[in-house]
Amino acid sequence: MEFGTIEREIFVEASPEVVFEVVSSPSHLQQWWPDQAHYEVVPGSTGDIVFGQHGNDAAVVAFTVVEVRPPRTFSFRWTHPADEPAVAGNSLFVTFDLTPSGSGTLLKMTESGFREMGWDVALLEQQYNDHVTGWDFYLPRLVSYVATAKVQR
Amino acid sequence: MVDLLLADGGGTATTLSDQLPVTRQAVAKHLAVLDRVALVRVTPIGREKRYRVDEAQLARAVTQLTAVGSAWDARLQRIKRIAESIQQTKKH
Repeated sequence: MEFGTIEREIFVEASPEVVFEVVSSPSHLQQWWPDQAHYEVVPGSTGDIVFGQHGNDAAVVAFTVVEVRPPRTFSFRWTHPADEPAVAGNSLFVTFDLTPSGSGTLLKMTESGFREMGWDVALLEQQYNDHVTGWDFYLPRLVSYVATAKVQR
Repeated sequence: MVDLLLADGGGTATTLSDQLPVTRQAVAKHLAVLDRVALVRVTPIGREKRYRVDEAQLARAVTQLTAVGSAWDARLQRIKRIAESIQQTKKH
């Protein structure tokens, strides 16, 4: 592993077509990462992802689609200055690689650019997790609340 | 390269390229990147520059990367959950 790159692999019990849709479409992205996602799933499309809901508190982060090869590869750059084209050196680069495996899909994620961008960008990455951490906190509560509500009927 | 700098307690582009299968020029370029993100400290010796790893900065960088890694673990778990529930719905 090159120092400055994050690599993860996870097995998903779903077809590559389904997994591709979940990792690439803005409506699904909003379910597992930012609050809002605005871009087209075509190479070169520029847009943004938004963390937080309330006007001034919301962080709008530039997002540029790099590669779209369904159902194998989806990659994008993010965190570049909104008025600059996304290139190596001014952005973090995320790639999803999908490989059919048995009855499911092996999903590999790589994020690089930390060494070139400087380490402070990693701090930003952490900030953008707030929304996500919130869901991790609230979702189990919501589930147990629904379960309790059913019992009470 | 960071490993070599840590093991030797520092080095120059020349001493490092002697131990690596790359040119002195490539090493110097890589060192410049490490310098820009403050992972190394530079001391000029004559016409060469001596580099050593800033261990506090390195530790900080590793901590931050680890945190980003855990964030991705959580994101991927959610991707898995969403995709698997869509797949289940399709079967029925």
